[in-house]
Amino acid sequence: MSANFQYKWLIAVVVSIVVQLLFLRDLALFYYGFCFIYLWAIVKAPIDTPPVYLILGGFALGWLLDIFYNTHGMHAFATVLVAWLRPAIFKFLTPANGYDERSSISLDEMKWMWFFPYLGMMLFTHHLVLFLLEASNANLFGLSLLKAFLSTLLGLIVFTLLELFNKGK
Amino acid sequence: MNQLFEFLLRQRNLLLFVLLQGISLWSVFTYNNYQHTLYFNTTNAWAASILSTRQEVASYHQLREINGELALENQKLHQQIFQLQAQVQQKADLPVFFSTAALDRYKPIACKVIDQSTRNSQNYLTIEKGYKDGIKPGMAVISSTGIVGKVISCTPDLALIVSVLHTSNTVSAKIKSSGELGYLKWPGYQTEVAELMDVSKYKKVVKGDTIVTSDYNAVYPPNIPIGIVAKVGLQDDGTFHDIKVMLLTHFSTLRYVYVIENKFSGQQEKLEQAKPKID
Repeated sequence: MSANFQYKWLIAVVVSIVVQLLFLRDLALFYYGFCFIYLWAIVKAPIDTPPVYLILGGFALGWLLDIFYNTHGMHAFATVLVAWLRPAIFKFLTPANGYDERSSISLDEMKWMWFFPYLGMMLFTHHLVLFLLEASNANLFGLSLLKAFLSTLLGLIVFTLLELFNKGK
Repeated sequence: MNQLFEFLLRQRNLLLFVLLQGISLWSVFTYNNYQHTLYFNTTNAWAASILSTRQEVASYHQLREINGELALENQKLHQQIFQLQAQVQQKADLPVFFSTAALDRYKPIACKVIDQSTRNSQNYLTIEKGYKDGIKPGMAVISSTGIVGKVISCTPDLALIVSVLHTSNTVSAKIKSSGELGYLKWPGYQTEVAELMDVSKYKKVVKGDTIVTSDYNAVYPPNIPIGIVAKVGLQDDGTFHDIKVMLLTHFSTLRYVYVIENKFSGQQEKLEQAKPKID
């Protein structure tokens, strides 16, 4: 069961990257809402993934995105940051009776009260750092904050829809 | 020694994290230095081939619009030919100012855009021509309607352009009717609107005025259209006009651009560098 899950996760990661690079690149909701679906790989990685793999994977993923976005290391920085923060967020949000070894990160198993704070923290950290680096201009702080906020909202909606869609299967 | 290894082993996640963050940040802050990051952008060969295929599919669905743009452009070019013919005639009448070299000082090179961003605070374009076609960093890039940006790095077949929609890419500009100088700056949001800075509040600026590149521009040829004045106000410090300019280039649907080769740029650079000191 576990092997099967990881296999599915891997396919989802590849699909999310392709969708990100070919379709979501130029998409912006109301000018300010960007969708970074490639974070699926970090957000949904199995709970027991060793942090080293997570960080290295985050770096490779971010660097790939940088090549396509002409952002020179900004995506890599933000993605490595959330990959590193993930275990800390886990510790912070531990459910009362700890994590079940077999459970995966999904809306179905973790419930709303865990899933949304987790997703929100991951996405907001990533987006805020990314937009601040990208703007590289103190005058644009408010704009970056607005972009990060709206993008997090959009991300929450998209990831939730994907979760609900998965649940139906 | 043993303790040190144990410590390193225990802290390996943190160390790896710090190392990778360091690499990323180094990359962020050396991005101007194009030798370092030459292949880590969309001029990378395989990234470019993927993006080029994607653009081909996308442009198939925009053929109608592109045709329209081409027709309009042809019309404009014909008109320019007539104007230029007249100008040449005039110059022949005033032989004092006539310079044969100046007639073909600028040479446009048509290029296909294979990738562009417009929604970031710092935007770039990638085009499908490079060194082999005579493109060099520093050249100006315009579209059929207005200015686009300037080339910052090249590979043999591709070039990366820093768009006007980039907060640190400013353009020396003037108001066409009055000749008033200023510079154009993009504030980092809204793809259609830029700001014209440094125009004194005592000068007359009217909504609807055309903004073009100035004659003192190191990058662009003079009198390339930039935009139309959309709003005139007063800046907070009270000395300059706050002018919002509607850009004439439609960045989001840009498919073809012209890189402008300036035949004098090498000579001008050499002259200005070799300038003897006068004191």
